[in-house]
Amino acid sequence: MKHSIMNKLITGLFFTLLSLTAIAQEDELKDLPGYVDFGDLSSMYGEPKVIINLGGTMLNFVGLMSKAQSPETSALISKLKGVRVQIYTIEENADAAKGQFTKVKGKLKSSGWEPIVQVNEDDEQVLIYIKMKGDNMEGLTVMVVDEEEAVFVNVIGQLNPAELGRVMEALDVDMDLGLD
Amino acid sequence: MNKYDGKWERQINELLDGELGETDAEELKSAASDDRELARNIVEAFQLKQLMDGLHVERAPASLRKRLRSIPREQRSAPGLRWLQPRWVAALAAVPLVLIAVSLMQPKTPSAEEVATARQELAIAFSYIDKAGQFTRREIELTVGQTMADAVTGSVNRTIKFQNVISREKKV
Repeated sequence: MKHSIMNKLITGLFFTLLSLTAIAQEDELKDLPGYVDFGDLSSMYGEPKVIINLGGTMLNFVGLMSKAQSPETSALISKLKGVRVQIYTIEENADAAKGQFTKVKGKLKSSGWEPIVQVNEDDEQVLIYIKMKGDNMEGLTVMVVDEEEAVFVNVIGQLNPAELGRVMEALDVDMDLGLD
Repeated sequence: MNKYDGKWERQINELLDGELGETDAEELKSAASDDRELARNIVEAFQLKQLMDGLHVERAPASLRKRLRSIPREQRSAPGLRWLQPRWVAALAAVPLVLIAVSLMQPKTPSAEEVATARQELAIAFSYIDKAGQFTRREIELTVGQTMADAVTGSVNRTIKFQNVISREKKV
């Protein structure tokens, strides 16, 4: 009757092993107040071209490794609890991305996030929201939808934008993201 | 599961109970590989089952234990053979896999390569934040002009300030 129970157990555990690492990273962040659920646009645009889920543990290691080179960078990173990025390539139709943009915006508003920047152009929309608790920042959310891509960035923890430039230099950021 | 329905829930339960047929198991496996939510639900159900299995069993009172011990051995059903039942064999065989699964959940020390990758990913995330800031600044300047930008109040003003700082820092 239960001759294949071993196979089934192994199948179940196989799923577990495959999924645990990726889910653990995401789950580590989900309960934090600065976390934002961006939803899923993969049914419309396919898998995101960039997915980043950095949890507190990994960020701690990045901070530690940066300490000798740049104590300032290390200090900034030590205040971060998580960094998440989802970037979808938009071939032609940006409607779904704009719809998701609006949906997330509504959720942010209703959960205590404050808008810092909102740009609504026909071909480009930018939103920057932060969540504060007293004088402390709990999260930063950046969403950009243009004709080429939909970008969702969620920083959980404290980030001083004024330090961002210096930190990017310390991280040797040299990449063309189509800023012009 | 984007469209989570009772079918998957039933199959997950059957999987955990060891009653899922091989065809259904394959179907579930295939669906889970494409559906993170389904995979997550399987993991959560598995973890819940582990928790339930690990629940503390209250120790019986000494008087009861004494009375149980006094039951003649011949009335018990061959306890040693229970360990040879297929259910127990399968469960014992699964122990190493469970240990591997649990060890995967523990925080581990990442390799230097993993940290370097994380560092690069962090840089990418910051670049996109910077990109949004630059675009915003450009729009504000186009709309109200550089000199007028400082007069803009509220949250926009705060953004201009931090973007100015970033620009200055980059010139250094």
